[in-house]
Amino acid sequence: MDKETLRKLELLNQLSLTDAQKADVLGFFANREEELNILNAMNTENTERMVHVMPIMTVVREDVAAQPFSRDDLQKGAPETNQGYWCVPRVVE
Amino acid sequence: MRYETVIGLEVHVELATQSKIFCACHAKYGAGPNEHVCPACCGMPGMLPVTNKRVVDFGMKAGMMLNCTINRTTTFDKKSYYYPDLPCAYQTTQWFAPVAVNGLVEIETSKGKKNVRIKQIHMEEDAGKLVHDISENTSCVDFNRTSVPLIEIVSQPDLSSAEEVEAYLERLKSLLRYAKVAECAMEHGTMRCDVNLSVRPEGSDKLGVRTEMKNMNSIDAIKRAISYEVARHIDAIENGTEVLVQETRRWDDLKGKSYAMRNKETAGDYRYFPDPNVMPVVIDDAWYDSIKASLPEFPEVKRARYIETLGLSEYDATQLTKSIAVCECFEDAYAVCGNAKDAANWLLSEVMSVLGTKKMTPDSLNINGKSLGELIKLVAEGKVSRANGKKILTAMFDDTDLNPAEYAKANDLVVSNDTGLMEKVAKEVLAGEEKAVADFKAGKEKALAAILGKCMKQLKGNCNPQVLREFLISEIGKM
Amino acid sequence: MKLYTAKSDTVTAKRIVADDMILTKDMPTAAGSKMLDGYMSLLEAEAVTRLTAAGYGICGKADVGEFAIDLVGETSYYGAPTKDGKLTNASVEIVKSSEAMAAIGLDVNGSIRRAAAQGGLVSVKPTYGTVSRYGTIPVACSGETVCVTAKNTDDCREVLDVIVGHDDKDGTSLSETECAKLKKAMPAKSIKKVAMISEMCENVDAETKAKIDAVRAKLAAKGIEVTVVSEPMLSSARVAWNILMSAELCNNVSRYDGVKYGYRTENYTCIDDLYTNTRTEAFGELLKTVILYGSDALSTDNYMKVYDKGLRVRRLICECFAKLFGQYDAVLLPACSKAAYTEDMVAADKYIAFSENVFTAPASITGLPTVTAGGVQLIGPAFSENALFEAAKLYE
Repeated sequence: MDKETLRKLELLNQLSLTDAQKADVLGFFANREEELNILNAMNTENTERMVHVMPIMTVVREDVAAQPFSRDDLQKGAPETNQGYWCVPRVVE
Repeated sequence: MRYETVIGLEVHVELATQSKIFCACHAKYGAGPNEHVCPACCGMPGMLPVTNKRVVDFGMKAGMMLNCTINRTTTFDKKSYYYPDLPCAYQTTQWFAPVAVNGLVEIETSKGKKNVRIKQIHMEEDAGKLVHDISENTSCVDFNRTSVPLIEIVSQPDLSSAEEVEAYLERLKSLLRYAKVAECAMEHGTMRCDVNLSVRPEGSDKLGVRTEMKNMNSIDAIKRAISYEVARHIDAIENGTEVLVQETRRWDDLKGKSYAMRNKETAGDYRYFPDPNVMPVVIDDAWYDSIKASLPEFPEVKRARYIETLGLSEYDATQLTKSIAVCECFEDAYAVCGNAKDAANWLLSEVMSVLGTKKMTPDSLNINGKSLGELIKLVAEGKVSRANGKKILTAMFDDTDLNPAEYAKANDLVVSNDTGLMEKVAKEVLAGEEKAVADFKAGKEKALAAILGKCMKQLKGNCNPQVLREFLISEIGKM
Repeated sequence: MKLYTAKSDTVTAKRIVADDMILTKDMPTAAGSKMLDGYMSLLEAEAVTRLTAAGYGICGKADVGEFAIDLVGETSYYGAPTKDGKLTNASVEIVKSSEAMAAIGLDVNGSIRRAAAQGGLVSVKPTYGTVSRYGTIPVACSGETVCVTAKNTDDCREVLDVIVGHDDKDGTSLSETECAKLKKAMPAKSIKKVAMISEMCENVDAETKAKIDAVRAKLAAKGIEVTVVSEPMLSSARVAWNILMSAELCNNVSRYDGVKYGYRTENYTCIDDLYTNTRTEAFGELLKTVILYGSDALSTDNYMKVYDKGLRVRRLICECFAKLFGQYDAVLLPACSKAAYTEDMVAADKYIAFSENVFTAPASITGLPTVTAGGVQLIGPAFSENALFEAAKLYE
């Protein structure tokens, strides 16, 4: 992990770190990279990845529509709304 | 030098389900802003995604229609990026195991038939919509479309012209509409298309620089965009007017130009990973077979049946089978009136003409086919004149429950058996048409048509034209 | 420090406190973050609904560390809870004070187990999928679980029985039949042999060591055989869990952007400023680091060698436990390395939660049930909660 990669990560995640934080984060990354060797020492060639710890499959629901929440309630805590829309600074197209 | 164009398409199709893919909100468009929204699809924490079964049904069905192999275990993944129309800043899609792969679609153009390979079909959620014309300094966000189910159909770069692209899109639309999985109306945004395009010298096996174009809202716009982009590429290659780079471009149909999109919107890393909240969907044999059994008759099969079994002409069969809505109306009408040729004629002339005046597409045909069959029968039996039949047909577009016989009766559109009235009217008209009578006697056949028309008008069309015609000729003979 | 938001009108004697990862409709849920300060949810957690229906009353909300990934709650926007110069945890203090008979909370990175172990309480992290996560703030969905903390195993078990059950609103929820396995009483004395993981017991302070020894002695006194077993693989669960948790967290907290609800910066002219300044101003330092780390683990360059590796190691850890459960009925290990944490420790190592979770990560990454009591964890196979409670009763 270097400063340039870190800068890209900040951009990608919409964060802006102070220099002191950057130094901390680089330290954190260095430790994690070192630890990764522990995993690399483990042979996973014939091991399937495990996304879900419980082997349940095909959880589906019937296609039935319902609309129990009102727009007014959903927008009660909104920073900015107008005529039923949420608002953001103009996005240039 | 001669060049060839290499085109691959990514087609997004909104699935015609009742509810959204991972929450129960309505999936239909047309509601007021943010009225089809819940905490899940406006990005609030706490609700968990539960997959809509019909989305998987439709994904499979679409895959089978396009001759794909269905992945019997299909999984969902998260794709991350920031944009105001994406409330969670991630989209749930299929990256590792899409529902269908390796398909084939046959298209036909002026150059003949050709196969287009389908790389994959994956299921995913749609994004919301941004509205820019409400206030000057802000963009307004509407999440109604957020999480509406989509399939993305990714083709191999097997297309080489705008004509082929058009044929391919029409073919997809026809197949998906036959299967009733999607509306596929570009004008409603229920079918959208990104065009990946590159140009290379003819015969070269090395691909040129590829650009991706977005934001075409109609097939015509796609054709314009392709011809612009091909010219731009060739100009760049031949004249060095610009250096082509692999990028995403936005088509501006008003200006007739494509523009590179801001780097920030397109660059970046989507960081796909399997969604821990959505369990893998395993398609067992029973499920697979039930979808297979529910597939419709394919357009070609239907066309052949219309020709061979129903005795329609090749032309009529081809025209009818272009749209499943027309086919269904035809089949219902035929079942009632019992005359395929007659039913086909009504569909292809009268019905199409009403559609034209109403500025509707054949796909949006919504009249009751059985009622149309009744109407055809009334006209064939001479109970309603063809001209009045058209009036009834027009009324059927506004009222799908309309009963043609009752409507004809209530609106005085029934052919009258009262020959006395017909004879009285005919005599009165003839008395005032000395010139026309003379012309007809002099051999001008057309003159009779004018007289006939006048009589018909006075009789409100409710008269057997053949009987009227014979009566007129015999009366003129006496004059 | 905001320990607790109390609800004045809770009249029932069966008072439950929910931690601030559990959404409630009548009290704000902030997840210890400035981002969600004052956030009122439109939905409530399934666990809350079930408790209310069963006659329990949610008497208030206990503060948590920001998105519950820290040691015991010290990264909360509202300040680190402390008592007698030591770090503590809001839920633990409320239960200890008998303000509530039990606490429910979301165990993301072990803070609930650490806090219970240090506070002398009993806590159960049930089998993944047996308690609905509907209405919890999502962080690391593949392993996080709704937990119950109380003064003793009986209270823990009573409350757990109410909240266990299938929920259609949670796609990872186990069937009613599976959930019933948990509720069904196990044959008495199901736990006869316990494996104590040697590596886990080495680098702990004297007081923690003493707790382990005491538990061991009490088990032995009741005829339960405790065998010291070396299983270094369990220590690597932490590395894999840190990857999976960070990546999932990065993705889950990306929704907090100042557009729909919650905090919005005052300092913006364009959308990117709005996003970046909102998140930079409202998120704490630990959270930011974890977001970046998780993002990096999922990047195109690293996915296979970091994230995918983590997913495969998860299976190895599960297999490791399965092997242990072939020989032993439960696995014993501490919940933390220290009898108490101080603010100094965190100041010296901001990321201490990412090493201290070596003890809690094995159960987090596998979703196995764990009863924390007597200052140690007892981990069993799926649905063995009742057996674990029975054993823990011997030393709670």
